[in-house]
Amino acid sequence: MLRSDQILATVEMIQKENLDVRTVTLGLNLLDCRGGNIDQTCDKIRNKILTYAGNFVATCEAMSSKYGIPVVNKRIAVTPIAFVGAGFNQDDFVRLAITLDEAATAVGVDILGGFSAQVEKGMTATDREFIASIPAALAATSKVCASINIATTQKGINMDAVAMMGKTIKDLAEMTADQGGFGAAKFVVFCNQPGDNPFMAGAIHGLEEAEAVLNVGVSGPGVIARSLERLIHNHPAPGTLQLDELAEEIKQTTFRVTRCGELIGRAVSLSLGIEFGVVDLSLAPTPTVGDSVGEIFKILGVDAIGAPGSTAILAMLNDAVKKGGIFASKTVGGLSGAFIPVMEDAMLAEAVGNGSLCLEKLEAMTCVCSVGLDMVAIPGSVDADTISAIIADEMAIGVVNCKTTAVRLIPVPGKEAGDYVSFGGLFGASPIMPIRNVGMSSRFIAWGGRMPAPVHSFKN
Amino acid sequence: MNKHMIISVMSKDRPGIIANITGAIYHLGGDLADLNQTVLCGYLTMILSASFDSEVTKEDLVAAISHIKTDCKFEVSIKELAVAGDDPAERPPEETYILTVQGPNKAGIVYGISQFCFEHNINILDLATTLKNNQYTMALQLDLRKCSIELESLQKELVIYARQSDLTIMIQHNDIFRVTHEISMP
Repeated sequence: MLRSDQILATVEMIQKENLDVRTVTLGLNLLDCRGGNIDQTCDKIRNKILTYAGNFVATCEAMSSKYGIPVVNKRIAVTPIAFVGAGFNQDDFVRLAITLDEAATAVGVDILGGFSAQVEKGMTATDREFIASIPAALAATSKVCASINIATTQKGINMDAVAMMGKTIKDLAEMTADQGGFGAAKFVVFCNQPGDNPFMAGAIHGLEEAEAVLNVGVSGPGVIARSLERLIHNHPAPGTLQLDELAEEIKQTTFRVTRCGELIGRAVSLSLGIEFGVVDLSLAPTPTVGDSVGEIFKILGVDAIGAPGSTAILAMLNDAVKKGGIFASKTVGGLSGAFIPVMEDAMLAEAVGNGSLCLEKLEAMTCVCSVGLDMVAIPGSVDADTISAIIADEMAIGVVNCKTTAVRLIPVPGKEAGDYVSFGGLFGASPIMPIRNVGMSSRFIAWGGRMPAPVHSFKN
Repeated sequence: MNKHMIISVMSKDRPGIIANITGAIYHLGGDLADLNQTVLCGYLTMILSASFDSEVTKEDLVAAISHIKTDCKFEVSIKELAVAGDDPAERPPEETYILTVQGPNKAGIVYGISQFCFEHNINILDLATTLKNNQYTMALQLDLRKCSIELESLQKELVIYARQSDLTIMIQHNDIFRVTHEISMP
């Protein structure tokens, strides 16, 4: 029997509340693409991507049309390229990036991730060449995203890599100074990086994965915000609604959102004959009004994002999202939780502008959300060691709490705190966040070496 | 059990109607296969499918029902089937879509939409309507297997129809509603 109330709730979710499948990401193993030299390797990579992803975008669009739900991004994630290019030098890695960019353009995907390395314990000579290539590689390409895992709960933090990251990010921003340092928005530093995350810039196809896998990222902060507003509107009398009921509403709404992603992901997977991997049920905001995670803070009771209570709200939100999604999907993976990327969320950006959200509070909030210091524009004058030290703090949070954390900072060349930077599209815009205590951490970063794994990692 | 009948009954709603009607079928040795009922504006209507021995006639069943003591007489219509109706499919066909129509109440909304479906050879599997605060809402479950045009063209025509008739119209695949309302995946 048709229940028009239920049907309309779902219709509203799709029509008015920005429900979409944020990304379908095709993970592809490239380890078998290694040729005798760089030319052969580039050819093999190009051929493999064209073979596997030739129909990928068209199939996503067909399923999107069949089910009437937009698939916003079609992406590819590949094996961390430092493994594929073992023995190559810095210039070779730039050529690999250009090949990946050309292949991504040829098959029509929006972005390609996996220009990556995993150096949480130590770095090979190749890893060093790879890291040196990152600024030029990202400046020379438009669709390639880079990431690097420099810490895990099992192995601790590679502080030599931490020290290199500050400089890499600075170089990357300088090389793309004409675009406001946009190159840095395509590079993210990880602790406990998952191998099946479909979201960028950190998507990779982990070594543990099968030949080709489809992962889906669902989002929908707008859907959650509207459902909470409705619930609050229907309980106007004080004391008739409590936080556990609000958490339950988030959970149930996430269930429905995740289900839509699972349905479309499995349909694309069946149609392409590629194994279905996971649904990543992350609340990923976009700069569009009404598609903000920041807005949920205000709905749940703080008048300024970053005010006391913000961390607790984010903890509840992140947990409720995970609970709803885990039951909705057969296989959940990736990051799965709430993202707080400042530039990509109009209300978080506004909170930076009016001073209610500072870096230290944002860092505290990353202890309970699913990623980290994401898309934070900082003054271009901040030195490399300070950036490295911010990264070290964030890595420590991930290592100790056995969770993924990440850092994507953009030191905007020529701009200072309070100035404004805009990248357009999904990357958004934001005032520059002030950084306190700049230049006070160089002695710490200069130690290098490794920060040992925490005691609770020794479980063998 | 080789005589199959479809029985339709309407009456003012009260406790005991289903017991009365199914009791009459039972006492004639009938085997009830399926029953669907709904209540609208205080009137109950139901449709039943049942099998009987060959000597039982439509007239026997009409007589049995008319002997039931009730304040409001049952309006009964019976059709004999040569063979039992098809069992309902376990799940609707792949090309099942849900059409929702919303707008200020006015005459001819249901007619207009159903005529639109008819013109495109679309079968309506199920239909529910509600009127609240002068807003009229229709939800239709449609079988597009024999639809005369492609889905994309249908969507475009619906956009035009919605604009012309001042209605909000959406069409979504049935599976979207299954996955968001039911525990199990299709």
